[in-house]
Amino acid sequence: MLCERCKIREANIQYTEVINGVKTEHNFCAQCARELDVGQYSAIFDGEFPLVKLLSGLLGWEEPVKKEGKFQQVVCPTCGTTYEEFVENSRFGCGDCYSVFDVLIHDNIKQLQGSDRHNGKKPLMQAGQVQGCGEAESEADSVTAGIMEKDSVKSEIRSWERKLKEALKTEDYETAAVCRDKIRALKEGIETDA
Amino acid sequence: MLKWFEREEENRQNIISSKIRLARNWSEYVFPSRLSDEDGLEMVKRLCDGLADLGEQDGRTYETAYLNELSEVDVRALKERRVLNASVLDRKAPMAVMVSQEEDLSLMFNGTDHIRIQGLSTGLHLQELLKAVNQVDDFINARFSYAFDEKYGYLTSFPTNVGTGMRAAVMVHLPSLSLGKKFPAILSNMGRFGVSIRGAYGEGRENYGSIYEVTNQKTMGQTEKELAELVGKVAQQLNDQENQVRTLTLKNHQLEREDEAYKSYGVLKFARRLAMKEAMTYLSQLMAGITDGLIKTSEPFSIYRLMLGIQTANLQKLSDRPLGKEELDVARAGYLRDELPELV
Repeated sequence: MLCERCKIREANIQYTEVINGVKTEHNFCAQCARELDVGQYSAIFDGEFPLVKLLSGLLGWEEPVKKEGKFQQVVCPTCGTTYEEFVENSRFGCGDCYSVFDVLIHDNIKQLQGSDRHNGKKPLMQAGQVQGCGEAESEADSVTAGIMEKDSVKSEIRSWERKLKEALKTEDYETAAVCRDKIRALKEGIETDA
Repeated sequence: MLKWFEREEENRQNIISSKIRLARNWSEYVFPSRLSDEDGLEMVKRLCDGLADLGEQDGRTYETAYLNELSEVDVRALKERRVLNASVLDRKAPMAVMVSQEEDLSLMFNGTDHIRIQGLSTGLHLQELLKAVNQVDDFINARFSYAFDEKYGYLTSFPTNVGTGMRAAVMVHLPSLSLGKKFPAILSNMGRFGVSIRGAYGEGRENYGSIYEVTNQKTMGQTEKELAELVGKVAQQLNDQENQVRTLTLKNHQLEREDEAYKSYGVLKFARRLAMKEAMTYLSQLMAGITDGLIKTSEPFSIYRLMLGIQTANLQKLSDRPLGKEELDVARAGYLRDELPELV
């Protein structure tokens, strides 16, 4: 079958369009398909298949245009990665990106991983948490005490994160910024304590 | 000392090798994609220095190398032997590897993530590998604090690795099962169980040598042990299915199978030129023949070692000058003539 657009080359791409329940089928050659704009799938025809784009398509699938406009000012203060950049590369710039973009990426990560909660190994002894290497038992005690103390801070962080989520929902960026700074300060607190 | 893949293992059946890797990031630095070369070099140096005594802990002898100090062929050969992964090859940033003498344990610094801990072994030994890499992981973690989040777990550059940061992989040889009409459907349906299966060699749809790699798709929500068990179970299942098909072919087509194994041996032992695809196909057929006891060699040997040996960079390394495409085929045939043991 020849391509219905150029009528020169062999059609090797079948494109099915469903608009308001009406299904139309088109047959294009690769070149014409590339020239036509078939939305997020155009990337498929650009020679090599870009996995990164497929992934970012997955991560930014919810009304990408609207979201970019609304959230592009969300920037990770530690590494300077913007939400837009993250969607484009599906790649985080630093560990803090996870908490900065948390509310934006949470659902997508859940979709990607089938879960939104880590269930596996935890760092037993983060560097610096344990001083010296003497009696193991008393060390363990001090570590658990440290962890208990950290838990209360963590719940505080979580409550601020909830506030941040609400603020972003209502597009109240001033409150969101305050929440973000609080969270960051609390997190830094944990690290310096350790 | 023998490398991990050079050891002979009794009754390995169709399971060739196991691998576990952990991706970790040091909380002091931003992730590699955002890290300047200057900071990257400083970090790599600090990691190399800080872990110099790793061998004293696990009894292995490690060698450390900065990737920019190695020749391109050496780097490619490390990739062929699976010490490095492909994403590292095009990266220009400062990177280093710490590799044990047997190459069964290796650390990669400043690749996709700051630290990549990898364990390799023949056969199906995921739980043992998990134990080994966990020990190294704890050793590193006692000196360098990781980017970790209570909710998301170990934080990684890509959201596809976050959580455990663990990828378990098992290589299986499926020469008969992969001929089946339903095989492509089996592969694409594996996603439902949370694993993916890919051809290990060859590009696109082609897969030379019928070797497939089973890996866990997800890295979060389950424990490391559960993920490794899942991958192991699927690999075991594929191995059993393959055996069933092979028993059938042995019953109904014994002569054809014998013929195939001996012909493959003949070509490998006497050919003067062998392209990669041919060589991998014949090695695969010979491997099936040996596993099923249709053909016997004078001494036990690892076909997988030969499969690694005939890869381009390894042949280049054995030669004293750069080889063209034709010369590579000649070198490949020569290598196999030398390495294949006699028949009994």
